[in-house]
Amino acid sequence: MIVAERKPLDEIKEMVKGFKKVLNVGCGGCTSICLSGGQKEVGLLNEELKNALAQGNAPFQIDGFTIERQCNADFYSDLDEIIKPYQAILSMACGAGVQFLADRHPSKPVFPALNTIFVGVDRDLGWFEENCRSCRECVLGETAGICPVTRCAKSLFNGPCGGTSRDGKCEVSKDTPCAWYEIYKRLHEQNRLDNILKVKPAREWRNQTRGTLIQEAFKSRYAK
Amino acid sequence: MMHQEMKPVDTKQIKEMLNRKKGKMKRYLSYCAHCSLCAESCFLYMAHDQDPQYMPSYKVIHSLGKLYRKRGKVDRKSLMEMKGIVWRNCVLCGRCYCPIGIHIPSMITFARSILRSQDVYPQLDEASSESWL
Repeated sequence: MIVAERKPLDEIKEMVKGFKKVLNVGCGGCTSICLSGGQKEVGLLNEELKNALAQGNAPFQIDGFTIERQCNADFYSDLDEIIKPYQAILSMACGAGVQFLADRHPSKPVFPALNTIFVGVDRDLGWFEENCRSCRECVLGETAGICPVTRCAKSLFNGPCGGTSRDGKCEVSKDTPCAWYEIYKRLHEQNRLDNILKVKPAREWRNQTRGTLIQEAFKSRYAK
Repeated sequence: MMHQEMKPVDTKQIKEMLNRKKGKMKRYLSYCAHCSLCAESCFLYMAHDQDPQYMPSYKVIHSLGKLYRKRGKVDRKSLMEMKGIVWRNCVLCGRCYCPIGIHIPSMITFARSILRSQDVYPQLDEASSESWL
């Protein structure tokens, strides 16, 4: 799941300042689940913005509308109608959703109300943890299901570095376990230590370009 | 903000929303031949031992279908029941297949939209029976 957190109110205020009629669009997908950008959070942010901006004689109207997913055109039909009278749009989706909304309505200024922070897992109610950097070269099969890119402070493919303490902690913080120590322990338990004896070549930094994926079965459909 | 169990239901607003898409949605509802071919395209239906409550047609008939049958005159209890059907029993993956061509996800999306207009949506920040697992 994509995890996001709300931007500070002052930053959001600065973005929408000067617009008289703003629509705050919530997302019923990941940002609802991580309690940052669902219908409830839209209502709370709108209340805060109203209190902060609708002062004196300066008119300021903000309304909310939540669609099921901002990253899929199938869910936009109602919003496309509603959005028309508004001068600016606030989006409480992840970065992908904000861009999708902005591309769909290029004449309207679209502002992000959230910072997208990671791809992660639910540890408990309201507690999320990063587990994947979407690096496109998954090595979890060799590292016993522990991601060295996400969980090693240096994202080392061939670890550990010299900064691991005797009790298996990272030099960055005594509370951070060394990912490579954890990988070693688990592979040792599984009797698969030979997995980390091979030197892995440097990664290809294909992340520098925008990703697109078309599944094999759909390639003929989208062929140019 | 008022808790979702407390707020009175705005049946007029529901009726207006239903009327806006009446042609398309009622056509979809009347085209359903109850053939149940959509059932096996739903992974939740398959994962729940083919429990009929997870059949896409069941989900639509007992949410949007009910709203149209009652012409929007529903109470909060009915809306809360529908909430379970359209959120817990459906993840809107869009994989449901209808041989007649009924677009089931758009009907579930519309039902969710109506529920949202009445402040009925999953309360994911409460550790309660609202768990979606």
